[in-house]
Amino acid sequence: MKGANACTMGYNINYPSFDGFLFLLDKKEGNMQKESIGKILLGKWDTKTIVGVAIGVALFAVLMDYASIKVFTNTNLTLAMIVPVIVGGLFGPLPAALACGLGNVLADLIGGWGMWFNWSIGNAVLGFIVGCLKLYGADIENGKFDVKQMIIYAILAIIGNALAFGVITPICSAILYQSELEITFLQSLFGGASNVLVLVVVGIPILKALAARNAKASNLTKE
Amino acid sequence: MNHSAIINLVPGNTFLHKLTGTTKVRLFIVLIIYVTMSFDLPIILPLFIASIVALISLKPKWKTIRTIMIIVVLMNLFNIFLYWVADPNCGQIYNNDATVLVKLTNYFVITKGTLWYLGVRLLKMLTSFLISLVFIMSITPSEMAAGLTSLGLPYKFGCIVEIAFRYIPDISRDFENISISMQCRGLELDKKKTSPFKRMKQMILILIPLVITSFDRVGNIANAMDLRGFGKLNKRTYYAEHEPSKWDKVFMVIYILLFIFDIAYLINNGLGTRSTRMWIYW
Repeated sequence: MKGANACTMGYNINYPSFDGFLFLLDKKEGNMQKESIGKILLGKWDTKTIVGVAIGVALFAVLMDYASIKVFTNTNLTLAMIVPVIVGGLFGPLPAALACGLGNVLADLIGGWGMWFNWSIGNAVLGFIVGCLKLYGADIENGKFDVKQMIIYAILAIIGNALAFGVITPICSAILYQSELEITFLQSLFGGASNVLVLVVVGIPILKALAARNAKASNLTKE
Repeated sequence: MNHSAIINLVPGNTFLHKLTGTTKVRLFIVLIIYVTMSFDLPIILPLFIASIVALISLKPKWKTIRTIMIIVVLMNLFNIFLYWVADPNCGQIYNNDATVLVKLTNYFVITKGTLWYLGVRLLKMLTSFLISLVFIMSITPSEMAAGLTSLGLPYKFGCIVEIAFRYIPDISRDFENISISMQCRGLELDKKKTSPFKRMKQMILILIPLVITSFDRVGNIANAMDLRGFGKLNKRTYYAEHEPSKWDKVFMVIYILLFIFDIAYLINNGLGTRSTRMWIYW
């Protein structure tokens, strides 16, 4: 009896038609638009996000070591600044902040130039601001990154650097390290300028390339 | 820098390796506070000697360690030179000595106080590097996560650090592989033949495949962790963490005493104000 039951069940499976698939696609898009701003800012902390942040941290630390030029004392022009943008595009601003700040701590640990927590905190703030890609509609995962969003991204990169290294880092160095304010401002100037350069000149082409790679079914239209 | 030589995934068998992860992480945090808080030679010098002894006790592969050491010392000397260029009178705040030893121009002067300050600063950076090196070489990623969880941090945070630490050697190996294969295709990355900025431009060609391969891994790792039930419960224990031994208790006393000393020193010097004195000055 049981066997017969399973058999009939097996034959009665209704495979979803093509329309059924399109319905699923629509539903997914509808859900995405409904996400509130607070939810985007906090991010969804499932296993995938945790692993993504961790890989971001590792990538940041490695790039800080390999792909950087010294511009000023303890200040590098580094390609590692790309990492928070990508993590932000995939997972949201808070994961980006964590990847950037923690990545800097780990880079300090393996780099051998001393631990500078004031810069790590500044980097975390910068990561948060730069990682807000989803907030203004850029969606790297589904291949959406147009000219308007590029301009917003560039402006945010400049504002983020000014805020993070012009305000946050000097405050933190006054509290944590009690001195070196003049040199911190000089470092901020050099570091901020090189970060903006990397974020805009390198970041936009990479984001565009990633978006184009992820845009799998963008030319299909529903009839 | 060869990361796989200093990050080990299997616990070693020397004295420092056998301590628990909790002890290592707590001791490291206390020592980092200790070394960053001051510019006093009597505080930094004993730790410098102790960290050299600790490094020798770990029995590292001296061939790889030597190259890392040379790179770090040169980099720190260059950092200090740039620091002097930015502000030739930087030592004056700490010891109020502006005796000019060598006068190059009106701006670039070498004063006695600055020379002393920069020397102490170099020693401080090297001490900080040695502590980090000893810490990294004596710990495995799982022990690090166990130690961070023991501080009261959520275990998901510990897990982020653990995975990041675990994947640094892999990603740096990927970086080298991609760089070699790009050079096979005619990309010039030689330091003598290309200018730094041109090299930076060519690094972008390495960066794109590196980013893609790194983030393609996320799905695999996350699925493997989900299959083993990661994140199901609010608490977890660590297989790598063993029972504290006799020496763990000895080190517990040491780090508690050092922590009290740190707090006392910070309060004594006044939080938020600039400390203007140095204990010992020539």
